[in-house]
Amino acid sequence: MTLISKFAGAASAIALSCVAVAAQAEVLFWSTQAKPVEESQAMREQVLSGYTAGVDYQPNDGGPWITRLNAELQAGSGSIGLLGALHGDFSAMNPDDLVDLTDVGAMAKSATFNTLAKLGTDQMQYIPWMQASYIMAANKEALQYLPEGADIDALTYDQLIAWAAKVHEATGEAKFGFPAGPDGLKHRFFQGYLYPSYTNGVVRTFASDAAVTAWEKFAELWEHTNPASTNFSFMQEQLLSGDAWIVFDYTSRLAGAFNERPDDFVAFPAPAGPTGRGFMPVLAGVAIPRTAPDMEASMALVQYMLKPETQIATLRATNFFPVVDVALPDDLPASVQAAGAAIAKMSGAADANPGLLPAGLGDKGGDFNRVFVDTFERIILARQDIRTVLDDQKGKLAAIMTATGAPCWAPDAPSEGACPVE
Amino acid sequence: MTDATVLDVSQDTRKSGRFLYVASVVFLCAWVIVPIYLLLINTLSSPEAVNSFPKSFIPEFDFGSLQFFAGFAGMLTALKNSVIVALMTMVMSIAIGAPAGYALSRFDFRGKELFRLLILLARAFPLPLLALPLAVMFIQTGLDDTAFGLALVHTTLAIPFAVLITFSLFSGIPIELEEAAWTLGCTRLTAFTKVVLPLILPGITASAIFAFVISWNEVFAAAVLTIENRTLTAFLLQNLDTSPLHLKFAGGFILVVPALIFIFAVRKYLFAMWGIANR
Repeated sequence: MTLISKFAGAASAIALSCVAVAAQAEVLFWSTQAKPVEESQAMREQVLSGYTAGVDYQPNDGGPWITRLNAELQAGSGSIGLLGALHGDFSAMNPDDLVDLTDVGAMAKSATFNTLAKLGTDQMQYIPWMQASYIMAANKEALQYLPEGADIDALTYDQLIAWAAKVHEATGEAKFGFPAGPDGLKHRFFQGYLYPSYTNGVVRTFASDAAVTAWEKFAELWEHTNPASTNFSFMQEQLLSGDAWIVFDYTSRLAGAFNERPDDFVAFPAPAGPTGRGFMPVLAGVAIPRTAPDMEASMALVQYMLKPETQIATLRATNFFPVVDVALPDDLPASVQAAGAAIAKMSGAADANPGLLPAGLGDKGGDFNRVFVDTFERIILARQDIRTVLDDQKGKLAAIMTATGAPCWAPDAPSEGACPVE
Repeated sequence: MTDATVLDVSQDTRKSGRFLYVASVVFLCAWVIVPIYLLLINTLSSPEAVNSFPKSFIPEFDFGSLQFFAGFAGMLTALKNSVIVALMTMVMSIAIGAPAGYALSRFDFRGKELFRLLILLARAFPLPLLALPLAVMFIQTGLDDTAFGLALVHTTLAIPFAVLITFSLFSGIPIELEEAAWTLGCTRLTAFTKVVLPLILPGITASAIFAFVISWNEVFAAAVLTIENRTLTAFLLQNLDTSPLHLKFAGGFILVVPALIFIFAVRKYLFAMWGIANR
């Protein structure tokens, strides 16, 4: 009998829930960024609470994010008012599905970013929203093993290898940490750091002799890399647990370590190779899908997101840096100060060699990353011959470039038509 | 061989048998309890303790992580939605699955074997594949973003289990029992309600729990098909993988506890079923 009464209770719950669909005036902010619970909490309470009309901020995994969006686009009506995502997410979309934002009255400071945001069309497909980059971080205990004459703010790859080797020797453990896990951002290291630093290119120089040297150097570094790195995706965890002392990762994936124990870690620029200090800025943007229920409200929210105060609040909440001109306050969280200083040193270095995120690849962006990840797995993990692997993978890369017709991006020299793999 | 040694040997085997029995029980209990206990400890630990090693086996009762979630906007609504969707899934999957199971076990009809196979097909397609057309249809029909719509999807996922479990339950009850009831004046319906139903009630509960847990754990459809009425898993789970370790533990704990409480609440029906199985 109790079971039957339970069913009765359930039935009444059903009846109740059917009534619970309320009218919504808030703009639905559908985002792939600021996903960790602390960051989404901060987005809601500190960044978006200042927007009087109300925002419903919902961060999602990439899969549900794009599925829901596509469903609304196909159905021709939707509830998503504003999209927040990385450059790569937008570039994979059909340009017609995004509203032209050229006249929205807000723009990034950097002309490069604004050009990227056009996604190869002649109108603003999204508005740059915030930026970040990849940096290095180390446990202060590792500093005593820095090779003689090495300046932590101007390391070379050779010095980094020597440093990791010394730590390895002194502690008996390989303490370099590399985010080679399934969710790790290893491909960005190859595309934006290793290749530009050794070959001054990414696509053109993919199988060059300089690239062979680059992979040899990386293989040397791998000797002193924690072998569990193939499970690491968020290096803040290994910094905090002490499994890794010297790491490379995305600024926001290191933030936790600096915020929890600010005195124990240092952040510093990525190392330099023969062709400069390669590094890659990361760009997130906001866009409006053509099915947005209230265009005016969505546009107003875009303007709000680009205001200097909002940009600083976003920086505090997410560790992503502003894209507009702002005066940074002094009381920022430890992670922001550390990462900000490291990025400033990196981009301000005399030998800085900034690369851009892959552009114009459309939905082939994942395949492009796959080429680099496969190359890494074959050369480093399976220890196959570097020359053979590069010549092998070269064909796949060339096929992607021809299929998409994407022109070269920095640091590769500009191309007419599709970027050639030389 | 004297009597004494025979006695010794049989006592020895009994002893070692008993030892094996106790050891297996302890092992099986530990299998379930240790992970949940570790989850509890880490939930009640400060961030420093969570990241340190070795771990203490006594929680330090630091409620920081849980407090964070207490202040996390929308948690309670999401919890409510989860419970509503799970209960609706439970009711609907039993209401549809049990008659199908009864039909499969009691009647012969054309295509019976095919039907049994087809019913499993609902689980053969990954949800990410189904979610897009489903969402398009839901938006067009107005089912989008309702607990009922999501419960329909979850019911589809739970029905194969409901049908197969109830099918084997009904098959376990001899048709002669029903026939005896008919001869004693029962109609087909009253024979079912007075004789069969009490016997299979525990089994129904078991498949209801399955349905509940399937709905409780499902993320992808929930994330795509609901916006305002998000379930707890859709609301929390996809944000946890990128969160700091101590919040992962606390969030995991929050996700596990309601399901545990539910299973605990209905456990006596489950034990009753196992009692039948032993007889």
